[in-house]
Amino acid sequence: MAVSESSARRYSLGDPDVRLMLQVREDSASAFEELVLRYQGRLVTVLEHLVGSRDQADDLAQEVFLRVYRARKSYVAGAKFSTWLFTIANNVALNALRSRSRRHEVTLRSRDSGPLGARPLDVMLQASSGQMPARQLDKAEMRDIVRMALETLNERQRMAVLLSKFEGMSYADIAQTMELTPQAIKSLLSRARNNLREVLEPYFQHGNRPAAQNDP
Amino acid sequence: MSPQPAHADLSLEEQLVAYLDGELDVEASRRVEELLATDPKVRQALQGLDRTWELLGELETPQVAERFAQSTLEMVAVAAAEDTERSRTDASRRRRRRWVILSASLLAAGAAGFLGMSLRPDPNRQLIDDLPLLENLDEYRQIGDIEFLRSLHKQGVFAEEGGDEK
Repeated sequence: MAVSESSARRYSLGDPDVRLMLQVREDSASAFEELVLRYQGRLVTVLEHLVGSRDQADDLAQEVFLRVYRARKSYVAGAKFSTWLFTIANNVALNALRSRSRRHEVTLRSRDSGPLGARPLDVMLQASSGQMPARQLDKAEMRDIVRMALETLNERQRMAVLLSKFEGMSYADIAQTMELTPQAIKSLLSRARNNLREVLEPYFQHGNRPAAQNDP
Repeated sequence: MSPQPAHADLSLEEQLVAYLDGELDVEASRRVEELLATDPKVRQALQGLDRTWELLGELETPQVAERFAQSTLEMVAVAAAEDTERSRTDASRRRRRRWVILSASLLAAGAAGFLGMSLRPDPNRQLIDDLPLLENLDEYRQIGDIEFLRSLHKQGVFAEEGGDEK
């Protein structure tokens, strides 16, 4: 990517993480560690909701950091550091999802995280038997429903939603991260949010659970 | 919901979402607000979008294990050491390949030179072959007739001087 000297200077002045990355380029191990500490949680959050597995999210996050390290010598300050990092994360995650879909591996329903885990109905039964406080069930059930609704989105819609919701990225930054135009992001997010509304509103109005992506 | 879009380039859904995300310019925002003020269905759609968006906040933000950063740094350190080793091996292989190519080139040049020298006609060879003739050239010139010389040769006049000279 060609980056003008003025924009490189602007990003390195305005973004402390860009400055850290420039130190990583000069082989500073402590700067790299600082970046890992700053971004590990954000990265794992987005990746977990994207791929639907905590273990895989951890592995992918490590893969992303490894790619960052390996790309350090060719790094130029052409964008916010987070945009550059999530561009790598997007590519790594999409590759993993494609490879998983080639293997016909279905893991989205068999989650390894969250209080409800893979079988919310079982948990509801447990709750109704008095083993779980009702308030906790409400919260957990809500989380489970929202997660299932998110899983009904396709990968690109999900990524755009996660970057917007959890990273607070502008359409321009999401576009840069996903290598699309801002107009395409506008359409993508509009479809995604309308899909979410269509899936979630019946639940809140009539108590109908959304069908998970892998439901038969 | 009103089918009338407030912004010609965008569908109403796109405008509502962009409005909620603060991605519309002032004029487009004003048009959306006019629609919201006059059309309850648009208002309801906007509230539905906003409500479901807020629900995403219910999703967990996972806590990263304490060991995560440490194991990431260790993994990167191992990978970096492997990269260094690989590049050193590659450099050594490249150096060895350069030496092999250089040696092979020198050998090939030497062989080509030797072959060229051995195939080139030796100007001294002809002189050596013609030496008996040259030694007696003055006498042969005095005779002047090659056929007469051949008949003398057949008679064995030159036998005791040179054996089988022409």
